Amino acid sequence: MIDFQSGYILRPVNPVFIYFSLFCALLLNLLPIGNYGWVPDWLIICIVFWNIHQHRYVSVISAFILGLMMDVHNSDLLGLHAFSYSLVAYLAISWHRRIVALTVLSQALHLLPIFLLVSLFPVLVHWVLSGEFYWWALTGAIQAVIEALLWPIATRILLAPQRRPIDVDHNRPL
Amino acid sequence: MLIDFRFKALDPIRNNVNWILRPLEYVMMAPRNAFEATSEYFTTRGTLDQENQAMKVRQAELSLLANQSEFLMVENQNLRELMALQKQVPFKTLPVEILFNPPNPISQRIVINRGSDDGLKLGNPIANDAGILGQVVRLYERSAEVSLLEDRDFAVPVQVARNGLRAAVFGAGRGNPLELRYLPVASDLEVGDILLTSGIDGVYPPGFAVAVISKIERNADKNSSNVFCVPVAAVNRYRQALAFLYDPKFDAKAPTINNKSASGEPLGNNPGRRQTRARGMQ
Repeated sequence: MIDFQSGYILRPVNPVFIYFSLFCALLLNLLPIGNYGWVPDWLIICIVFWNIHQHRYVSVISAFILGLMMDVHNSDLLGLHAFSYSLVAYLAISWHRRIVALTVLSQALHLLPIFLLVSLFPVLVHWVLSGEFYWWALTGAIQAVIEALLWPIATRILLAPQRRPIDVDHNRPL
Repeated sequence: MLIDFRFKALDPIRNNVNWILRPLEYVMMAPRNAFEATSEYFTTRGTLDQENQAMKVRQAELSLLANQSEFLMVENQNLRELMALQKQVPFKTLPVEILFNPPNPISQRIVINRGSDDGLKLGNPIANDAGILGQVVRLYERSAEVSLLEDRDFAVPVQVARNGLRAAVFGAGRGNPLELRYLPVASDLEVGDILLTSGIDGVYPPGFAVAVISKIERNADKNSSNVFCVPVAAVNRYRQALAFLYDPKFDAKAPTINNKSASGEPLGNNPGRRQTRARGMQ
């Protein structure tokens, strides 16, 4: 795959690294930080990233399973995150050709609506099901903005193994 | 899909996922626990000494109170017997530890480290030293989810400590103060009144603090008053809490050694087993 930022061809991805990073993101999500609206959802950044860059390894189904886990952890209605994650995964897959061609910052701007959808989805569903709207729960928008800001960092970290040079000269490491 | 889940059809799936997830959650709690442990470890000797002193004084006071209260309890039970009232049901407590509160924009819940394996039942109240925290709403084998007082439409029957006025406290959703509903304008309430559980519902044992009235808006036109209160028990203060294994309906107690020797009656005739009156008619 071509890295549009640098113009080089990337190394092939290691599936183990993909699953490892998803697992780490899941663990980060399980950190007992507390019930605050702004805490970023590490898992959705990771899912969207791999869905955009390697959608053959990480698909809607894995997004669904991870979403189910988040439902149980958050004691939400079962299926809430599962649905929103898989919806977002689908969106990410269908946009992936367009998004990888952009610069990282405009990628983040493009992904902001996706993150907004995830963070506001529980509020919307609750609104539909019970007819009450929690205005203050819209602070989830902050979470989406933070996630979008984290996107360049995530790109840097998660693409790092593929950006390693292919022929390493041990005598002259640079 | 979402509607389907309102009917609790998929609880087995939830249980299984939870079974996988819980160890991971425990692992991720390690950094926080380690941090707290180290900060505790490095408290100075002086603070510890002070704390120790305070604890000793407190313990002396409490043990004195406990002696007194045992005497009062016996006296109270005897009086109740004399007046042929229903005996108050004793209940067991179970120390629980609050693990974390899951990030959830809609509701405010906590997860505790005891579950159905430890004898916890759905609906058991949870309290800490200050007062009632909430109620068990979802039960796993080794953990449980507790819905807090401020959850939407979470109702607790209470009575005002000052004059015994009965009412019900309702949660108004996360971040909002609790409400006392269905009260006329002329009801005798003041800001600062403490609300205790009344025990009418048979879920909460009577006499535990729930909330303090913080604001009263009297509306003479509609003959109603909006009363707002603040929960007494702070959730984030301590990690420890108590679960009340309180079940007056099914748990008509077999006599303990104390009240058996006190009353000296045969088993079947024990007033504690008699349930002739409606519950809550004290």
